[in-house]
Amino acid sequence: MTTAASGSGVARFAPVLLFAPCAFAYAVFFIWPQASLLAMSATEKAGFTLAQYERFFVDSYYWEMLGRTLWLGFAVTAITLLLGVPTAYLLARSQSRWASFLLLLTTFPLLVSAVVRSFGWMVLFFRDGLLSRTLLALGIVNHPVQTMYTMTGVIIALAQVLLPLMILTLHGVFKSIDRDLEYAAMSLGARPSVALGLVTFRLASGGIVAGSLLVFSLAISAFATPSLVGGARANVMATAIYEQAVELLDWPFAAALATILLVVVLAVSLAYGALLEGRADKEASR
Amino acid sequence: MGISHINRRQAMAALAASATFPLLPGAAQAQSFAGRKLVSSGFGGSTMDIIQAAVFTPFDKESGASTTQVPMQSAAALARMKAEAGNPQIDMFQFSGGQEAFAKSEGLSQPMAGVSRMAQIPAALKDPDGHWVTWAVIAEGIVYNKDKIKTPPTSYKDFLKPEYKGHIAFPAITNGYGVDFLVMLAKAFGGSEDNIEPGFEAMKKIKGETIFKAASDLPTLFGQGDIWIMPYDTGNTFKLQQAGLPVAFATPQEGSPAVNITACVAKGAKNADVAGAAIDMMLKPEAQIEIARRMRWTASNPETKLPADLAAEVPAVDKLAQLDRDKINAKRASWIERWNREIAR
Repeated sequence: MTTAASGSGVARFAPVLLFAPCAFAYAVFFIWPQASLLAMSATEKAGFTLAQYERFFVDSYYWEMLGRTLWLGFAVTAITLLLGVPTAYLLARSQSRWASFLLLLTTFPLLVSAVVRSFGWMVLFFRDGLLSRTLLALGIVNHPVQTMYTMTGVIIALAQVLLPLMILTLHGVFKSIDRDLEYAAMSLGARPSVALGLVTFRLASGGIVAGSLLVFSLAISAFATPSLVGGARANVMATAIYEQAVELLDWPFAAALATILLVVVLAVSLAYGALLEGRADKEASR
Repeated sequence: MGISHINRRQAMAALAASATFPLLPGAAQAQSFAGRKLVSSGFGGSTMDIIQAAVFTPFDKESGASTTQVPMQSAAALARMKAEAGNPQIDMFQFSGGQEAFAKSEGLSQPMAGVSRMAQIPAALKDPDGHWVTWAVIAEGIVYNKDKIKTPPTSYKDFLKPEYKGHIAFPAITNGYGVDFLVMLAKAFGGSEDNIEPGFEAMKKIKGETIFKAASDLPTLFGQGDIWIMPYDTGNTFKLQQAGLPVAFATPQEGSPAVNITACVAKGAKNADVAGAAIDMMLKPEAQIEIARRMRWTASNPETKLPADLAAEVPAVDKLAQLDRDKINAKRASWIERWNREIAR
């Protein structure tokens, strides 16, 4: 009887026990540091203060920087979606034995360190580099262009490294959608393109949300690429946090910047998720 | 017999004493720090390797210690020092951007012990309380592409010459050389550390030029970047020359600002005694000649006598301009704020 009781007790607490290690790790390595950051940003010798946040919000320089950071996130997400959706779809639907090799190939940018990759971009992006020379030779531009140390360069470089994450996320989702659903739609009279849009992409919307959020949050918190490829002019939140924390040793302001970035990512993610989910629900109930 | 007995005991005591106080002169041969580990911050890359070969390898051989350098730029090293205050994992720090003064004022460093050559160093190059010492000096000036610029530049005013437009690069203000460039531009146009306005005025005229953050970008800037002229230093000019780039160093008439390469010991460092002995090695003329030979850094110890061929290429320490680092450090944060808004925007 005792064994039976303890057995049912274990069963009842199993979910908690399974969840505990992860929750513990999150509490120690994420929630606690994040809470101390928040505390650091809002305290001074006299006690509680919002001075660090006021400093941010009254200054158009920081608003501009926040806008630039969000623009970076949106642009990189849009590019990776545009390039990633067709690639992932084709790779998932392909019968070729090369498909898995090609999928592996798309992950190659992830295997190169951000620093090494940035030096590669340097060779391509400088005024006398490959990109500028190619554009000149093709007659697209009539004077050398410099992409190095610009936001355009940062967007291209980040899109390149984050594209594999988008492709991998979407590939798994497309792979799990039953091909027969498309055939069913077509047998009921839908043209292939309509079947693709109404059935496949709608079913994949969860994956599109997940991939976009992954890419967006990584893009706006990226540090190495904006710093190395963007240089002094491409100031984003992550590089500003580094500058305040490491160059100026202004930890309270750096903590405030980090908190603002986190809140903005959360807000954008929730809004984006709600938007796509909401639309899917509405269409489903129609 | 009794006397000889006492003598033997005295001799034993003396031997024991020399083992207990290994810092006594002449005890160095006895591998005073055998088995000890010293951790220092280092500048990374080939600079760190050369410092290891010129200073720490001979030090380890002599003392029996084993020294590791952890690569980090000066600003990051100071941040690390601050983060580990009270329980330092790194015993000694090397700085190139004046961080040692901040470390002292924040109580992050401690007076060094066992640095006997400290007495040979000029007062301007060391802390009066012995918290830090300058063990090498880098001369800043103008680095230019001698294939593109035939007459060597002579002044910081040359950066405004229309014929160089589109081919100028300068370091961001977060790089130590970026601050010094701003100060030297101010000096060239009638300002100073106290009156930085002319510096910003001049820099605004070239704000559209290439701005870079780290020395690691230099080879590509002179290669694919189509850059002809920038403010930098003798050490990096030498590195670029070794890489086969057609660059030369010019000393501007406003003076070559000195960048002091300093060493200090973290407060509460477990191996403070080893660090002190290693820093003493940094001040040794033989080590300083090796540093000058392999990196073109200026020796800080006036006892160091460079061979004639080397002396022609490395400016002597008394020929360099010492900027007012205290004033610069005090204003740095506000200059960075202003620079971010007026120059990099």
